[in-house]
Amino acid sequence: MSAIPADPNVTAVSATPRTETNYLNADWSIKSWLLTGDHKRIGILYLVTVSFFFFLGSIAAGLIRYELTAPAGFILESETYNKVFSAHGIIMVFLFLIVAIPAILGNFLLPLMIGARDMAFPRLNLLSWYLFMIGGACIMGGMINGGVDSGWTFYVPYSSMYANSNVTMVLTGIFIAGFSSITTGINFIVTTHKMRAPGMTWFRLPLMVWALYATGVVIILGTPVVAVTLLCIIFERVFHLPIFSAELGGDPVLFQHLFWFYSHPAVYIMILPAFGVQSELIANFARKRVFGYHLIAFSSLAIAGLGFLVWGHHMFISSESMYQGVVFSLISFLVAIPSAIKVFNWTATLYKGNIRLQTPMIYALGFIGLFTIGGLTGLFLGCLGTDVHLTNTYFIVAHFHYVMVGGAVTAFLGGLHYWWPKMTGRLYPESIAKWNAVLVFIGFNLTFFPQFIVGFMGMPRRYHYYYFAPEFQPYHIMSTLGSTVLALSFIIPGLYLTRSLTKGAKASANPWGAHGLEWETSSPPPTSNFLQIPVVLDEVYDFDPVTEHEQDKAAQALEVPSYLSNEAKSIESEKEKR
Amino acid sequence: MAAIASDHGHGHGHDEALHHQFEDMEQQNDSYIVGMWTFLVTEVMFFGALFLIYTLYRSMYQLDFYLAHKVLDTRMGMINTFVLLFSSFTVAMSVRFAQLQNRMGVLAMLGITQICAGTFMVIKYFEYQEKFGHHLYPGPGFGSSPSYLNGASPNFAQLYFGLYFGMTGLHGLHVLIGMIVIGYLMAKWWRNSPMVTKDYIPTELVGLYWHFVDLVWIFLFPLMYLMPKP
Amino acid sequence: MASTPLSSDSKHGGHSHIINPWVLFFNMLWLMFLLVITFIASEFDFGNVIINNVVAMLIATVKAVFVIWIFMGVMHASKLAKIWVVTGFGVLFLMFGILGDYATRQYEPVSGWETNVPNNGGSAFPREWPPQKKPEQVGENFRPRG
Repeated sequence: MSAIPADPNVTAVSATPRTETNYLNADWSIKSWLLTGDHKRIGILYLVTVSFFFFLGSIAAGLIRYELTAPAGFILESETYNKVFSAHGIIMVFLFLIVAIPAILGNFLLPLMIGARDMAFPRLNLLSWYLFMIGGACIMGGMINGGVDSGWTFYVPYSSMYANSNVTMVLTGIFIAGFSSITTGINFIVTTHKMRAPGMTWFRLPLMVWALYATGVVIILGTPVVAVTLLCIIFERVFHLPIFSAELGGDPVLFQHLFWFYSHPAVYIMILPAFGVQSELIANFARKRVFGYHLIAFSSLAIAGLGFLVWGHHMFISSESMYQGVVFSLISFLVAIPSAIKVFNWTATLYKGNIRLQTPMIYALGFIGLFTIGGLTGLFLGCLGTDVHLTNTYFIVAHFHYVMVGGAVTAFLGGLHYWWPKMTGRLYPESIAKWNAVLVFIGFNLTFFPQFIVGFMGMPRRYHYYYFAPEFQPYHIMSTLGSTVLALSFIIPGLYLTRSLTKGAKASANPWGAHGLEWETSSPPPTSNFLQIPVVLDEVYDFDPVTEHEQDKAAQALEVPSYLSNEAKSIESEKEKR
Repeated sequence: MAAIASDHGHGHGHDEALHHQFEDMEQQNDSYIVGMWTFLVTEVMFFGALFLIYTLYRSMYQLDFYLAHKVLDTRMGMINTFVLLFSSFTVAMSVRFAQLQNRMGVLAMLGITQICAGTFMVIKYFEYQEKFGHHLYPGPGFGSSPSYLNGASPNFAQLYFGLYFGMTGLHGLHVLIGMIVIGYLMAKWWRNSPMVTKDYIPTELVGLYWHFVDLVWIFLFPLMYLMPKP
Repeated sequence: MASTPLSSDSKHGGHSHIINPWVLFFNMLWLMFLLVITFIASEFDFGNVIINNVVAMLIATVKAVFVIWIFMGVMHASKLAKIWVVTGFGVLFLMFGILGDYATRQYEPVSGWETNVPNNGGSAFPREWPPQKKPEQVGENFRPRG
């Protein structure tokens, strides 16, 4: 077996020569992109399409927010409003959140992090992108063709009998997109098990890989259930096969059981990879070994496991048996344990670290706070008594946005900035990105914190007016204001990241001084990832914050921070070339 | 590209079936087997949800399901089960022949499997046709020949037949997909493609899929055709 | 820190185990025999509909185990494949926990709480009926909807 005999953590950073041929410029033809088996290119394909869907979903979100600035609404009719919030939910859940971190960052990073040449099944990986595109096209087709008004949950009997909108087409799209997710999950699992570089034992894996593995397990076990459940609605609408029809003796609550059996674990599909990104960011920017590596790794698996035991907490008021409700409430509280383990361990990692407040770190610190609020308010909702009051209000909307946007989207943005030099070979403008990260935090809190209050006061979700309670208006206006700020802070990275593709300074192989196999190959990596398959001799987070802090101090005296030295060097070499 | 391509040329010289991302055949074979099993786990969950729905409704409406199921032809179901069990055996044999690189053996065994699958589908077709003729397909015309309901409540019988057509239909779809995949595999063997002749794994994966189809039917048959009297 | 440079689970293999054809053949005969047993058992009354169903499912499970163990080659497969098989059926079993909802509903202490009857005795809280009407609040931006 060909391998580098020396310790790669010491030598390979500087030893890897900058190759002129990388995965981006290996072949410029469109065909080479559309028929690629390269996991990095597939990650980029996902990035482009998912960003597009995120844009569409955000427009729907904006429409919802502007409608609610007035107690009686002022831009949407009630039916349109139903279609808009359904579109927002469906696009954001099925076409953005479930796909974003696993399929973009996960696809790009998993083989790089474990030292493999590619995913185990590159063609399956490409198939997953095509399935995603077909599914996305079906969903978009259904929405353009009149929309769907049943919400993203598709509760029967409304979706199966009464909805006159394009439920069938959109469900077909979700069904197909589900298979895209399954193929990605299979790839993650097999790649993690079988493709690790020599010496890359399970406990030397970066925590991102653990998180992606746990995500893969959840995808594999959950997605087929929702696929067949939604298929039953399609059967009911198209072939008249009565499966959940209440009028014939079928049970609509069974649909909710089966739907949430997947859709609760699905929120872990969204947040687990975000935990992985978070662990990487915190370790690198605190320049310190992650505190409690084993606990973070196993808490990912614990969340994946417990995630399958709590679906009933979405159904406390859906005529579920109270005995099962009690059990689900208890297990829902248990989920707090592995989540808290992670949060405490990240915080402990910061202690006595050599913290560098760069853009990804700002996102990561924001994540800790926002996810904690999102998680703790989840306890209110997991409690049987308070849930009766809070369910179906804006409190629940705020709760899951704190977890999904404050957690998953923040981590996605942080991870995107962190790995942007690796993905594109270019540096993004640091100062504007830093301010933008702060703007995301402000805009986000301004949008969703008022929703906790207004929800607690009784504002129901999915209502397009609240003329019965005009005192809610200030909160809604605050929320809309925040969403405008948030929208701005999503547009700005889109602009400067796109600009950096051509104008950005060229990145060195390891602009952050980070540890991990993905930083030991050039930026962007060659098509086969590594010129030689690396041999791993040490764990990934072997930082030395004390020495680095002293070096930083010495460098500050010279007015060149050491962590910028790589960046500065590459800029200088650029100037010299010109 | 040349510099990159040259460095992972190891092992390619003698193994045409080895893909570029793997080090050796053992890693590749292991990966494919594990990948197939993960896929089969998703299939288990896929059908599992339907079995769950069926279990709930049958426990709720035992008598009506029992009365409604009487119209099914147990003989045909039995024949179909025998056919599928036999085809499972032939597929297992074809994997064995693939391991021994016995091309004609594989082709013969897969051919018999195709015939079995075809027989299964034809029998299924006649069963479906009979049910349609008796107005037992759920929908507006359901139960317009009440004698075939055996006294079951038309509503609950409709639930039963909804599940019957849904589950056996999805199973039939899997059989059809299996036939297409086996046909593709046979074409590969017929053309002596190194993808299958140098490596028994593709045959093994198709075999696993086919056994899974058999597995679903093993549960479907007693649940749908052989209900005990409540 | 340096230890063996080999991945911990790169050693097990052995998928290429060739099964004796007679094993396959007798497995098929055995499965067909079990099929006949299934049919006979369905005609036979064990005294209780639950037992009858359990017997039918047990026989089907035995058949499934033989298909998985011998035909699908799990007998000779890697540990990982075995773990996946067990996980798959384990989570399926878990999903059947949904039935626990339906099984326990009948024991709820608050029977009749869903009917709008005042002080129905079974309800956890006595309710006011009819509810007190609040004066209708109309916002400044009120606009009737069509």
